[in-house]
Amino acid sequence: MSHHDVIVVGTGLAGLTAAVRIAESGARVLVVAKGIGATHLSAGTIDVLGYSPERVERPGDALATLLAERPGHPYAHVGVEGVGAALDWFGARVADGPLAPYAYAGGLEENLLLPTAVGVPRPSALVPVTMAGGDLRDGTPVCVVGFRALKDFHPALLADGLERSGVGVKARAVELDLVPEARADVNSLGFARAFDDPAFRGQVVAQVAARGLGADERVAFPAVLGIADPHGAWAALEHGLGRRVFEVPTLPPSVPGMRLFATLRAALHRAGVDVLLNNVVVGAECEGAHVRALRVRVGLREQRRGADWVVLATGGFASGGLELDSHWVARETALGLPLTGVPAAGEERFRPGYFDAHPIARAGVAVDHELRPLDAGGERVFENVLVAGATLAGAEPWKEGSGDGLSLATGHRAAELVLAASSTTTAAPAAAAGS
Amino acid sequence: MRGVPALRADVLVIGGGATGAGVAWDAALRGFDVVLVERGDLAEGTSGRFHGLLHSGGRYVVKDPVAAEECVVENAILRYVIPDCIEDTGGLFVSTPDDDLAYADRFLEGCRKTQLPAEEISVAEALRREPRLNPGIRRAFIVPDASIDAWKTVWSFARGAAGHGARILTYHRVTDLHRSGDSVTGARVRNELTGEDLEIEARFVLNASGAWAAQILHMAGIEDVGVVPGKGIMIAMNHRLVNTVINRCTMPADGDILVPVRTVSVIGTTDIHSADPDEIPVTQAEVDQMLDDGERLVPGFRDARALRVWAGVRPLFQDARADEVKDTRDVSRTHAVVDHRERDGVDGLLTMSGGKLTTLRLMAQDLVDAMCSQLGEQRPCRTREERPPGNEDGEAYRLGSRLRRRESTLQDEQLICECELIGRNRLEEAMRRRGTTNLDDIRRSLRLGMGPCQGGFCIYRATGILHSVDRLDGAEAAASLRGFLQERWKGVWPILYGDQLRQACLDDWIFQGLLDVGHLPGDAKVPDDDQRARGEQVAGGEAHADPAQVPEGGRQADAAAAEVNL
Repeated sequence: MSHHDVIVVGTGLAGLTAAVRIAESGARVLVVAKGIGATHLSAGTIDVLGYSPERVERPGDALATLLAERPGHPYAHVGVEGVGAALDWFGARVADGPLAPYAYAGGLEENLLLPTAVGVPRPSALVPVTMAGGDLRDGTPVCVVGFRALKDFHPALLADGLERSGVGVKARAVELDLVPEARADVNSLGFARAFDDPAFRGQVVAQVAARGLGADERVAFPAVLGIADPHGAWAALEHGLGRRVFEVPTLPPSVPGMRLFATLRAALHRAGVDVLLNNVVVGAECEGAHVRALRVRVGLREQRRGADWVVLATGGFASGGLELDSHWVARETALGLPLTGVPAAGEERFRPGYFDAHPIARAGVAVDHELRPLDAGGERVFENVLVAGATLAGAEPWKEGSGDGLSLATGHRAAELVLAASSTTTAAPAAAAGS
Repeated sequence: MRGVPALRADVLVIGGGATGAGVAWDAALRGFDVVLVERGDLAEGTSGRFHGLLHSGGRYVVKDPVAAEECVVENAILRYVIPDCIEDTGGLFVSTPDDDLAYADRFLEGCRKTQLPAEEISVAEALRREPRLNPGIRRAFIVPDASIDAWKTVWSFARGAAGHGARILTYHRVTDLHRSGDSVTGARVRNELTGEDLEIEARFVLNASGAWAAQILHMAGIEDVGVVPGKGIMIAMNHRLVNTVINRCTMPADGDILVPVRTVSVIGTTDIHSADPDEIPVTQAEVDQMLDDGERLVPGFRDARALRVWAGVRPLFQDARADEVKDTRDVSRTHAVVDHRERDGVDGLLTMSGGKLTTLRLMAQDLVDAMCSQLGEQRPCRTREERPPGNEDGEAYRLGSRLRRRESTLQDEQLICECELIGRNRLEEAMRRRGTTNLDDIRRSLRLGMGPCQGGFCIYRATGILHSVDRLDGAEAAASLRGFLQERWKGVWPILYGDQLRQACLDDWIFQGLLDVGHLPGDAKVPDDDQRARGEQVAGGEAHADPAQVPEGGRQADAAAAEVNL
């Protein structure tokens, strides 16, 4: 049986954040996961609090209000300062990362207002610099450029939606017939690879310029401006077009999400942390309230992996961290932790309106302020397991516009807690108890 | 009626379901000038909401031998005239451990009497053919059941009728029936997309509106015919759990039929009285019951992924002058022409009552025969021999044919819906031909958004394409997108568990996270009238002359119906 100081379960934003932060301190960390996390689905922006329930302009202030009203919200375990610290930490990792000078801009002070692919102004706290130029609080007109071969981005729909959105920004669309790899059907990643190539960028610049740009226009592209060298691609377009250029996230696979993943994955690599995919945690060996080892299924085999600490960041229903079966029984899939907020059999789980608030939405694992899982009586289930990310109960990420912020902040907080607890004990608690 | 545009025809058919489309086809083939009006889209009601079973008749051999005999004959005729709408899956009747073995003997006896070709096979052979079947089954019989695509069927007949001059008006709701003395002389209809009224003058009105027939009759002053809507729910599972139609060998009951339909299988159904054919919500108890029934046929059913649930209403008639109906399933599944001359002293009007999709051709024939007899005209029925468009080559539908067509062009054309293999050209062509801006209409025509992801990816794409071909402005695109999401949600939330819940979360990620559709300006309702203004005459005219343009019809799975015979 292997042994690590900390095993992080999950490779989404929460798990990667926790693993990097802990590994930076020199601890021996292992990451196990069923597969790649939800980064590849996400916009690549860190939305801390977008709606509460009205659109939020100053997330730091709104967060303070939210925490006062909703002490059970996962952000309450982190606090406004903790969220700020997580954003700062994350920004620095990207700025120092393998894609530098690709970096993030923004913070808790003010939300940026970025258009979605249907032209809805979406509030985000921290965004890639390649998207920041899309901030709609600035009234500069927008020319949206799309590609007929990219079915996951429709520039005219965006422009039309944007004009109707009430932000007072003029928008128009241009569709180019440039086809990378001479295929009719190329996804975001295919275009991103093409944009890494200066020759392709040159063609784009020439074609957009030939269609003509207004003197005061900025230019929107789908978020496919490079995967290996996004900053280079973006800067080359700005230079070539002589206009501000920005990316708009669109359907998965998400190129900005992949950049985010690559950044944190590289940090793990540098710290010598192994990331084992297709490793599914199916249970644990425990002594009292301490997990001694995780039972990990790899293919048809089951392995035991010992650890002093476990950070569980397997996600919610979307990622398989939580499951609901056909008898309407929900469970946490790795350790069988108690869940809260799950409607009982016979109770309503979903409302008939798609955009309604659904009763099951806040279901998850309840934790105390040190992110330890709690049972129905409010008692800690495990002393050395911390829970982070979408597995946590109490949030409604889509309604709040808070998903990535929650994952980053709770992942970061879990790491800080593990590091603090480890440094205050001469030996790791598990080792002490086990001797 | 000055200022209201008018149409004149021999026959006005009310209802664009299987019955109405069959009637329009039959009457048009006999040389009548036909107008068909449908308040929504073709096959949007009961026909589009059944389980997709082309009955062999086995379901009725004990309980309703007349209905069984009709099925035996009509099953064979439909296989000949609309082969492209039918997959020859074959069917099995199996006695599960919960079923009375004595019924199996009565079943065989019934098959013999109704000349239904049934053959007993060993349990081992049944399990060899269908390995996922409950290994505890005790007897098994092969019958000529099949899987039929109701949308393709309705579209084939409607298009065939249009090819013989019929005018098919979808989104036209009857608001009044006109009477002159004792005769019905036509109807006023409202274009639901434009709000405009239209007068239709006809020598004869054929009421083929199924569960809504009583509402039509009230407009003619006939108050004492009621319809007992019997609600049935169906669930589409994400795989072909079986490749043969599976029936429980027992008296017709709930959850006793599992039908492989294209890439899915559909279990049905229940029978619950409903006061209003337009108010048929699915309850949790029904879903749980259906899953338990599925488990009885195919162990592990509950672990499979449920894609979508829907309900339809059996259009069973209750004549105030006849005995009170207790269980809608107990009503004979045979159909009857309601002769309003004889019954109510009203000329120029006939109503089709009861029936089932399998016998739609016979129903149409009987109704048009009755009309001919009242008109005193001899015009022979031709629907036994004539094939409507799309079926000319006599080839039956086979699973995988769509993939075979697509594979060769995979790199040449964008695939808009990966689940249902719908390319961009086909989508744009359907948008043009149908002239509709309603994503739900396109869903029914092409099966867009009907696969495992339930539109998670293709609906944004389709909205963008609709917008770019100038069908929609921004407001309409927003309304259409939101309307589709709401319509889809209706069919998925009662069955969200397991992997399909996970899939729904991914879709939330896209629509609520990445696109933030929830904050698009406007309401979540389906685009209203003027926004779908270009949708009339969908199946009329030369646009359908080219059989290559025949859409693939809807997922009957989704579509499917509480037709009378569930």
